[in-house]
Amino acid sequence: MSQAADWKRADSRIGILFIVPFAVTALVFMVYPVAEAVRLAFYHHNPLNPGASSFAGLDNFRALAADPLFWQAFRQAAVWTFSSIVLQTVIGVALALLLHLPLRGISVFRGLLLFPYIVPTVVIALILQWMLNADLGVVNWSLRGAGLIDENVYWLASPGMAMLSTIALNVWKYTPFVTICVLARLQTIPLELYDAAKVDGAGAVRRFVDITLPQLAEVLAVVVIFRTIWTFNKFEEIYLLTRGGPGTSTFNLAIYSFEQSVANLKMGMGAATGVVMMALLFVGSLIYMRVFRFDEEPTQ
Amino acid sequence: MSALGAVRQVIAYLVLLVVTFLICFPLIWAASTSLKSPKDVMATPPTLLPAEVTIENYRNLVTGKQQYYRADQSYVPTTAAPQHFTSWFANSVIVSLGSTAISILISTLAAYSVTRFRYRGRRIIPYFSLLGYMIPSIILVFPLFLVMAELRLTNSLWSLTFGYVSITLPFCMWLLWAFFRGIPIELEEAAMIDGASRLRVFVDIVLPSAAPGIIAAAIFSLIVSWNDFLFARVFINSIENLPLTVGVMHFFEGTHVDWGLMMASAVLMTVPMAILFMLMQRHLVAGFGAGAVKG
Amino acid sequence: MTIRLEHIWKSFGPVAVLKDVHLELPEREFITLVGPSGCGKTTLLRILAGLESATRGEIWHGDTRVSDLAPGKRDIAMVFQNYALYPHMNVHGNIAYGLKVRGTPKAEIAARVLEVARVLEIESLLGRKPRQLSGGQRQRVALGRAMVRKPWLFLMDEPLSNLDAKLRVTMRGELKRFHMRLETTTVYVTHDQLEAMTMSDKIAVMDHGVVQQYATPAEVYNRPANTFVAGFIGSPPMNFVERAELRGGELALDCGPDGRIAIGASPLPNGFAGETLLGVRPQDLEVRGAPRAGAVPATVTLIQLVGSEKLVEVAFGAAGKLTAQVKADAPVAAGERVWIGFDPAKLHLFEPGSGGNLALR
Repeated sequence: MSQAADWKRADSRIGILFIVPFAVTALVFMVYPVAEAVRLAFYHHNPLNPGASSFAGLDNFRALAADPLFWQAFRQAAVWTFSSIVLQTVIGVALALLLHLPLRGISVFRGLLLFPYIVPTVVIALILQWMLNADLGVVNWSLRGAGLIDENVYWLASPGMAMLSTIALNVWKYTPFVTICVLARLQTIPLELYDAAKVDGAGAVRRFVDITLPQLAEVLAVVVIFRTIWTFNKFEEIYLLTRGGPGTSTFNLAIYSFEQSVANLKMGMGAATGVVMMALLFVGSLIYMRVFRFDEEPTQ
Repeated sequence: MSALGAVRQVIAYLVLLVVTFLICFPLIWAASTSLKSPKDVMATPPTLLPAEVTIENYRNLVTGKQQYYRADQSYVPTTAAPQHFTSWFANSVIVSLGSTAISILISTLAAYSVTRFRYRGRRIIPYFSLLGYMIPSIILVFPLFLVMAELRLTNSLWSLTFGYVSITLPFCMWLLWAFFRGIPIELEEAAMIDGASRLRVFVDIVLPSAAPGIIAAAIFSLIVSWNDFLFARVFINSIENLPLTVGVMHFFEGTHVDWGLMMASAVLMTVPMAILFMLMQRHLVAGFGAGAVKG
Repeated sequence: MTIRLEHIWKSFGPVAVLKDVHLELPEREFITLVGPSGCGKTTLLRILAGLESATRGEIWHGDTRVSDLAPGKRDIAMVFQNYALYPHMNVHGNIAYGLKVRGTPKAEIAARVLEVARVLEIESLLGRKPRQLSGGQRQRVALGRAMVRKPWLFLMDEPLSNLDAKLRVTMRGELKRFHMRLETTTVYVTHDQLEAMTMSDKIAVMDHGVVQQYATPAEVYNRPANTFVAGFIGSPPMNFVERAELRGGELALDCGPDGRIAIGASPLPNGFAGETLLGVRPQDLEVRGAPRAGAVPATVTLIQLVGSEKLVEVAFGAAGKLTAQVKADAPVAAGERVWIGFDPAKLHLFEPGSGGNLALR
């Protein structure tokens, strides 16, 4: 093209050199495994007997469709995700509006909000197991002390309550995320908008509905879509608290996939479940891109 | 007006108090339990504060002393002794730091490359990265296990290190890309005209300017690798090579669960993250701003 | 030694932003590249710096071809529009960086930085970080960073555009004084014609990637090469009157029998006759309250007071419009009937199609 001088060529070599480690790592530890995950979905594969791997065609997917547990896991995942997201969003936004008030000491509290995010899931799951312990746990004893229950509640050992407990864990850990995102957006709403609305005679409620909410719509959509995608595929938050139990009452697709691969030694089935999850994730991402016309490069 | 304002303030503070309580209570309760004697732990109704503070649980974890469980005045040994706790802790530290260092090194170079050099495909790489960042670990873990087996790395800390690189690298890349794009190119041009070579520009000008981004990416990377359970559960099968998260699960394998010991491990598992959190809170918030949130 | 830009072409993809730019930059002179945004002036500067490479063409400094050298090897200095001060280094570090990179001994670096800081009167700021400096101070640090290496060429990319109006005037004078003191060849990019006029030894007026005129400020002002240059240089901009017929010693404007300006002998050396595009600067028009031979009757439509002068907008003929600049106390008001007088020596005649100055054909 141009009269490329030597230094230009040497310079562009540095550019290539800098991307090579990323490219190699991405190929070996990301691209190849994902491709392998898709390939395995079409194979019968026993991790203890890898030599006996055989092509399965769509067998794994047929088996999934025929497995009531798969559909149960699917339904439960949907319930878990929907409840978690609704609670996170409502509580998260309310909290953000509260934190946006000019209160003294609020910055300390804002910092505190990030704390649940850094607490390992294992830790909060262990603590919840202890706190929700039916006979010794502080929760049952407190409720009994307050006269709200007469008998101990089996938080983790009865199906409905176990679901509720996993939702509680999820809400505890990720509501702050919603709050922080919304708060960041709230702080960028120009105050002139509110002044203009006041001059136009809008009351507090009107100002919230007509100015705050529309300004938050975009960030809420991003947060809800992303949180939905991630929550739907969560593994540790449920597995560490209930192992999917009691019975299979808190199975979601991730746990189903894990159990197929590890307990049933059917890696093909596990992988096929993974493919279904990826397909759903893909749909979610498409919605995201649709909503935000992803052609522009995001600003930081 | 001001009366209404005062009422609103009181309500706001009350809500904040409740939320603070909900955020903090689990950890306070864990800390309290961890300082109780076995008898105290089993007391009904439970007490918020230990009847008498003991650091026995921590001592047992650190010294690896065989733990006994007092029931009916007799000692029953739990099957999983805490003698591995210190090595689990060390494993967690090594693997978290190692994978973070690798991720940061690779993503820093790569993010700079795609922002400042022109070659085919450079625009697509950050988006490809974002895609990788959205793929759930549960999908990656088994194929990655097969890759590790192929590389003869399973059951070693290396498998975990590279495993964590595979989950942290995409978002480090995405975050640093955003940061590098924010550095005015004139700074680098000025340095080039001043006579600095490309590498020198990178070290003298780019890295210092990107430091907040690099720190944020490193914190997120540390959090993710320290907190992981799934990869360690699948990749490692010998007890001494486990990181903390999977290791402490062995404490469940006794006839009785020793909740005092369990809560002491929970506290010790949180402490490094809490310290990191307190030191780096500012950068953590900056990272959130840049969209580096996997959860 | 003279710097020669030889037939520089630059394309970004299918878009040519520089088309056959050919300039000689005499040693020690202050040369300004001026033009509207997108005219290619900044690209040309960046090619000089080595930050971009030309698609075609070469740059020579005396007998040395510099167009193949990396920016750092050219031994030139550049002042950026936003100054590009290294934010994590203090003022001393910023000024010293170029010397440090070149391995200059520490003692010499310290001495030279101090010397430059003295000249720029920023000695007291050496320990500060850029964010603690005002706009004017940053400007000086950027200058210091350029000066300290004693380069053979200064490149300046709109260095005053980030300053407020008052400071800009002050810094304009300072830049000029520095140039007179250092006598280093300087290439200065701006979109502000006033900066170009006041500071330069020579001006290259650029538009659409082409150098429209390369001459001294006086030449560019008095004998603009074409309508683009004529309209770009000077404020308020030159008036243009279409369909002005040149016949012998008379210029007939398109507004009836009154619109005839006696210009004596044709101002064009080549005896041109026919339709022209007339250009006349607002400063060269006279506004009178009474008719006079050769003055065009008009109606005042708007008056804008700009301090010691006022701008008088008038309408004449069917659709003719002119702006005249007169003394603030001139007795003229909106709606009045006036007569516009022309100074035959200060008319610019252009070819209607190409816009070229007929006097320069």
